[in-house]
Amino acid sequence: MSEFLQATVYGLLEGGLLALVAIGFSLVWGVMNIVNLAHGAFVITGAYIAWKLNTELGLDPYLGMFVSAAALFLAGYVVQRFLINNVVNAPIWMTLLLTFGLDLLIVQGLQLLFTADFRSIHTGWGSDGLAIGDVRVPYGRLAGFGLAVAVTLALVWFMTRTRTGLAVRTTGMDRAAARLMGVNVRHVYALTFGLSAALAAMAGAILGSINTFSPSAAGGFTLQSFVIAVLGGLGNMWGALAGGILLGLVQAWGGQYLSGTLVNAIAFGVLVLVLIVRPAGLLGRPYYEARAEA
Amino acid sequence: MGSLRIWLVLFLVSSMVVVTACGKGGGDEEESGVQGGKLEFGAALSLTGSLAKEGALTKQGYQLCQDKVNQRGGVKVGDKQLKLAITYSDDKSEPDTAARLIDKFNDDGVKLILGPYGSPSTEAAAAAVERNGQVMVDSSGADDNIFTKGYKTTFAVLSPATDYVAIIVEAIMSSANPKPKTVAMLSADDGFSQTAAKGGVAAAKKAGLEVVAQESFPEHTTDVSSALTKIRGKNPDLILGSVHVEEGIAIVKQSKELGVKPDGFGETVAPPTPDFAKALGADADGVVGSTQWTAEVQGEDEIFGTAKDYAADFKQRFGQDAEYHSAEGAAACLALVLAVEDAGSTDAAKVRDSLASLDTESFFGPIKFDDTGKNVTKPMSAIQIQDGKVVPIYPKDQAEAKLQWPGTGG
Repeated sequence: MSEFLQATVYGLLEGGLLALVAIGFSLVWGVMNIVNLAHGAFVITGAYIAWKLNTELGLDPYLGMFVSAAALFLAGYVVQRFLINNVVNAPIWMTLLLTFGLDLLIVQGLQLLFTADFRSIHTGWGSDGLAIGDVRVPYGRLAGFGLAVAVTLALVWFMTRTRTGLAVRTTGMDRAAARLMGVNVRHVYALTFGLSAALAAMAGAILGSINTFSPSAAGGFTLQSFVIAVLGGLGNMWGALAGGILLGLVQAWGGQYLSGTLVNAIAFGVLVLVLIVRPAGLLGRPYYEARAEA
Repeated sequence: MGSLRIWLVLFLVSSMVVVTACGKGGGDEEESGVQGGKLEFGAALSLTGSLAKEGALTKQGYQLCQDKVNQRGGVKVGDKQLKLAITYSDDKSEPDTAARLIDKFNDDGVKLILGPYGSPSTEAAAAAVERNGQVMVDSSGADDNIFTKGYKTTFAVLSPATDYVAIIVEAIMSSANPKPKTVAMLSADDGFSQTAAKGGVAAAKKAGLEVVAQESFPEHTTDVSSALTKIRGKNPDLILGSVHVEEGIAIVKQSKELGVKPDGFGETVAPPTPDFAKALGADADGVVGSTQWTAEVQGEDEIFGTAKDYAADFKQRFGQDAEYHSAEGAAACLALVLAVEDAGSTDAAKVRDSLASLDTESFFGPIKFDDTGKNVTKPMSAIQIQDGKVVPIYPKDQAEAKLQWPGTGG
């Protein structure tokens, strides 16, 4: 029984971390219909920034993540406003090509700057945990999970209670109508992308303290974000959290009760199953699929 | 806005060109002012991708070999002195790309090949080398499977995969007090790790240990929690990991998180790398690892001298401590150079025959190949991380210190 509980706890916590990585990706896809293949590269860049701050200044990654987030927000804003904005009206494979190229550029750039060494950010307290009976809950992962929930709540509040957030949502629903209502769409798009990059960087800083990373880990994060975004559904801020937790739990239970090497197969099996039953994803809004861009 | 767009495009294109140019490798492997002709070796290496770190280490070994050989006048082929020039291509850590690059070397007339990094790429390259009639010295493909295919043109200087975990078991069982009684075997799911794990399980059973669990997980994963949770209840005295760097770090890290407390850890590949101790800090202390080479290895050759000489030269050239991945590379290059000199020719078939009958000692240990191409004369070494440093502990004639047991402090 304690095995099941431990696997469940770990799966939940892991799910929260996965959700943190995916939330920005889901936001950009849902609002701007852009599949950002460079998302994983943003995550790793955030991790490297936090790692550099930790090694040079001894800054804890939970503080360094704000610096990472701020830096990537600016970078994301600029990239969107002056680069990706040019292909927003083009067929989807143009944005895929552009973001793919961006991903290559960033990953190779990181490799030149930092080499392919595996890095990890030290926290004194990360591996310690509290023990509830036989079940261990590591502090580092618990904090990451807490952050994921907090960020989702903050995003939901931002999207529903502030003017800017409403502007973002309306632009996502119908760009032409939003323009007619006086929304500066170019600025809103850049803001959304910047926000997505900032969230990715934050996730990267935290993941860097829990796992090891190197430039080649970027692709894996992008793929995971893609799966979670589809699983959780677009158009709903809770989608990434739901998708992440589901994926985390499925992987943990699958790894526990089936062979450990089938973990990826199980994850994608669940994805296929969910898409058959609910094509819009767990919490997705069906009209986001049918949406046509003006 | 139109002209801004043009400037932006120009900026992007030029930055892309700069990044590609920088990334394609500096010019330090090209020789200038060649006299008396060049001898070209081809090397398809993982300079980018998931194995970029290990590929870079292997390249350092190849580069040091080239420098040392050319310092002493080059490669003597008959009555000519040829300057050694190694050409590098990036296989991006993809086996299919490695095979393609071997074919490209063949098209360019390069028949003498230094192996890529890792068993999957080496296996793919070996098939191409056999098909093209080239000859390859394998520096880092240890999986015994590579040598079950009847290839006649691939020769591995390193000890095969079945030794990787077995030597750890031997080292621990020979000095640990009290001896561990139960062991759990964790393994990544790639061919090399699985072969090494099988060898380890066999060695453990032979030494009288009870194998209480065997678990596998995907290669390159950073989350081994499922496997650890499964073995936690069985309380193994020793946890063995047949892994690579990422999984090796994850096992120690997540064992601490999950409260899995064996008397010690033994892992392949990861502990001797600098990243391991850096990533884990104090938690790395006590972990036993296996390595193809340490600076205490016995043996001497005319190009590198002793293992200690090699280590000093490496430190001087690269500013880092020498570790086994680069030593493997240097040894492979050494074997190929010696074979060319013995054959007195650069013809692939003659060099192949020369390699098949090579029997020499070296800074890397003894090099002699059996009829499948494996180097069966060289034993592996066991190390332990003590105070953040990699310390050889076994075999006794190479040991710098004794095994600290329990490795985890109890």
